[in-house]
Amino acid sequence: MVAETHPHDIELFEYVEDELPPARRDEIAAHLATCAVCAEQVRRAAAGREALRETTLLELPEGRREEILRNLPAPKRYPGERRGFFSKQLLAGIAALLLVAALAAVLVKTGGNSGVESSAGGTAGGAAEATATSGEGGKAEDAHAAGLFAGGSPDEVAEDLQRKGFKASVQQDRVVVRGATKAQVREALADRGPGDVEVVVKNP
Amino acid sequence: MEDPDAPLVERAQRGDRWAFEQLVERHQNRLFTLAARTLGSADEAADAVQEAFIRAWLGLPRFRGGSLFSTWLYRIGVNAAHDQRLKRRTEPLDETHEPADPRDSFQASELSSALQEALNQLDEDYRVAVVLYDVLGRSYAEIAELTEVAEGTVKSRIFRGRSRLAELLGTRTAEE
Repeated sequence: MVAETHPHDIELFEYVEDELPPARRDEIAAHLATCAVCAEQVRRAAAGREALRETTLLELPEGRREEILRNLPAPKRYPGERRGFFSKQLLAGIAALLLVAALAAVLVKTGGNSGVESSAGGTAGGAAEATATSGEGGKAEDAHAAGLFAGGSPDEVAEDLQRKGFKASVQQDRVVVRGATKAQVREALADRGPGDVEVVVKNP
Repeated sequence: MEDPDAPLVERAQRGDRWAFEQLVERHQNRLFTLAARTLGSADEAADAVQEAFIRAWLGLPRFRGGSLFSTWLYRIGVNAAHDQRLKRRTEPLDETHEPADPRDSFQASELSSALQEALNQLDEDYRVAVVLYDVLGRSYAEIAELTEVAEGTVKSRIFRGRSRLAELLGTRTAEE
């Protein structure tokens, strides 16, 4: 008789979790008062819950984390990052050179004839300005002798390099990069411009 | 529901390794706990976690954000642990293994506890359900999604898993 009216597991679970509507909860409570089988199941479920909830979160061993990160397949090159930057730089450089060459050719041919010179001069001026800007970057680099320097904060520079696939970390306000060449790091930092953050490249 | 991992996931999907490392940092211990509690072995669990993160990294471009990133990742973790269990059947266990790092001894003692031994005896479906719900605090909806069953089935599995666990713990206590 009682067996035919046993509540389903789901309702017994919801009873333990106190998720039933009050009316249904009272019905289940009344059933449990008379059904030893269900009452025992509910008692065990509550005890099992308590045992499980006493467990702590386990920590992945530190060495394993490093192993995971080391063994990740090489990142796919993401469009619009380095490649995009280099394309733009390359195009700007070529355009500037062509314009300067064209201007020089025109000047040589015309001996400084005004019409063409004024027309090309405006554009060439812009290119010269771009060249000068990049020249300033070179000077800033020279001024810092052998070291590499980049704009922004050390954290920003390190993050930027990490995003570009370098092993970079901040150490005493300097950014240390391992496993790369200076030229690679310089290229990667070119879009940041000169700054005060020292970047030290350590080859393996 | 807003996914707290979404900004990092978006960056990682574009190949940002740093962002993915942050996601690993954020989820590694929960994923390890899930694998260790369901496999009963720290070594196998670490292997499963490593495999899960590699699968996640490779599969990230296909993740469309239809669920929480953590749900997607746990699903990969459950599958990796399941595969690890299947592998166990075909490869002999290294019985001589001892934790090399002293820090691992805590994990080792946890995984040789009475509770873990009882967990090891549960059906895999029940074990996964109770670990996800009671140990890791995931919702019914999330567990249902990542184990591909109805929410009612999740509740039933948790109820039966808990009951059986208490029964096994009681038997063990009575024997001692």
